[in-house]
Amino acid sequence: MSANAAFLQNNLVRRDQVASRHAQVLLRFALAYCDNSDKVSRVVETEINWPEALREADNSRAVTALRAVLLNGLRIALRERNDVSEAQLEDFTQEALLRILERLDQFAGRSKFTTWAHSIAVNAAFAELRRKRWQDVSLDALAADGHQLSEQAVMPDAALGDDEDRTRLVGILRKAIAERLSDKQRTVIVGVLQEMPFDQIVELLGTNRNSAYKLLHDARCALKQHLSAEGITPEDIRTTFGV
Amino acid sequence: MKPLTARQIKGLITVIGNTREHEFNCAECQRNVSEFIERQLAGLPIDKTLARVEQHLTVCAECREEFLALEKILREGR
Repeated sequence: MSANAAFLQNNLVRRDQVASRHAQVLLRFALAYCDNSDKVSRVVETEINWPEALREADNSRAVTALRAVLLNGLRIALRERNDVSEAQLEDFTQEALLRILERLDQFAGRSKFTTWAHSIAVNAAFAELRRKRWQDVSLDALAADGHQLSEQAVMPDAALGDDEDRTRLVGILRKAIAERLSDKQRTVIVGVLQEMPFDQIVELLGTNRNSAYKLLHDARCALKQHLSAEGITPEDIRTTFGV
Repeated sequence: MKPLTARQIKGLITVIGNTREHEFNCAECQRNVSEFIERQLAGLPIDKTLARVEQHLTVCAECREEFLALEKILREGR
């Protein structure tokens, strides 16, 4: 047992004096964390009623415990990225904690609380990392790219190879983009193709995420219908074209 | 605009092929992804709602990226 753990056990709270079950499990968490932080989530997962502990008037221990769990998770998720500092991980964790506390009522209990919380932390971290890569793009530039999307120079016939079926597919796709999509739909498609963060596309279009997603979804449906009318089914795409 | 790469065009065609008339958006996927991933990692069957999460992950690169990160956390945390 580490010195910190010993201190907690001997001085902070004695187990037989703890009235609240939450205090007991949080103490157990604290002890486990001091001794072996790698095993934190396994130790506490089945024991803490997180929503209840986080709703308590004094939720500082629960927040501290959850922060450690989330930070550990983000370290794992972003370990291979060399563009993320420890300070950023701390910021992402802090942002995630705020979101989780705001959305506690949305936790429906259909998964472990920590899985739900990790999903929010991952979303917060990745959204911010994506945003930083695309700070200087304008709507005009994106719209201009959208106008060119159906041009032969941008989508050459032989882009997928010289095979006759593939060449025909690319030609049909180009025609569908030109004839079936609105300017805004082409703009969204281009943004997604260029791996621009969806939040950024939403911002540039001056709309909200759900509306932008509907725009994109309607565009995909229109393209799918066009391909289908030309006799190209999803099964054809999977088998004939090997994609 | 630079010419699209084969990967980008294949990606677009794949996403078109995977498109469904009724599908979850990102917020709906996010609300259900924790349940979906736990059932998937446990090898349990998924219902129609969770099947929509699975479908959304085939058409949304951002949600897929986050799903893979979440999967990594849960696998290593086991």
